[in-house]
Amino acid sequence: MTIKHTSISRLEICRRFVASVRHSTELKLDVRRADETSVEVFMPFQEAIVGNPETRVLHGGAIFALMDQAGGLAGACAIYPEFEITPTIDMRVDHIRAPEVGYGVICHAECYRLSQHVVFVRMNVFEERHPENLVATGVATYMRMKLPGANEVVS
Amino acid sequence: MTDALRTLIQQCRDGERPYQALVERVPYANFLGIEVMAQGQELVFVLPKNETNVGNPTLPALHGGAVAGFMEQSAVIFLLLHMGEPRVPKTIDFTVDYLRAGHYKDTYAECRVTRLGRRVANVQIIAWQTRRSEPITIARAHFLLSEETAQEM
Repeated sequence: MTIKHTSISRLEICRRFVASVRHSTELKLDVRRADETSVEVFMPFQEAIVGNPETRVLHGGAIFALMDQAGGLAGACAIYPEFEITPTIDMRVDHIRAPEVGYGVICHAECYRLSQHVVFVRMNVFEERHPENLVATGVATYMRMKLPGANEVVS
Repeated sequence: MTDALRTLIQQCRDGERPYQALVERVPYANFLGIEVMAQGQELVFVLPKNETNVGNPTLPALHGGAVAGFMEQSAVIFLLLHMGEPRVPKTIDFTVDYLRAGHYKDTYAECRVTRLGRRVANVQIIAWQTRRSEPITIARAHFLLSEETAQEM
């Protein structure tokens, strides 16, 4: 069963999808841009997701969750106007530098290859105030699940 | 590393404080709801079923990022307790393989230090829900072990 959403933009689909994911709403993820194969997702600073209580730097796990979510959205953009569930197969993150304390981070995720069964994504995370500062970089693969009823998530 | 943390680690090792005290000082660990179960000196980390960690609302399934964060934090605490002279582990890289759907129920994790070098540690983490022999997620990570603050990494 194939569901088409030509009446809804990629950005709107991404935003609806994130709104349906409880953990991502807890992280206050905000989809800022969505085009043919890539997305930009912002994660604000929250005391609750601090990893080191002495330095107040964001936890690597929260950054990982942001990247995983953004990667899935990049895949959704590439699959558009169809919508599929795409569970993560694997993901690797390199933490380049600790982000500036008290500010959020922005993840750019790009689907660089969409095969019949697998979504291939690269992502980079930058500081909110200094977007030239790379915080983390990652690569992930996702499985395309052409499930009936997948549209219920976004509609 | 602050003296307060060094003291806390020693108290946990000596049984004067519960291991949970190491979790509770980390805001993100509380955000996920991580718990530590100790069987003697063997540690099993628990991510209790919690609706704030849901990723797929229709299955429902846990968010892969929440499971990964749980595994990363478990490895950090495990390392803190494993090192003779504890240093703050900072994640260099983290690699996760998702093997099965993480259902909406309690998740467990165990860690193994594959190599503890002077500056870098390699840790393997396995997470399961039903039985150990059916992991939902396996991960490996490298941590930088240094005395510096995180900003100086």
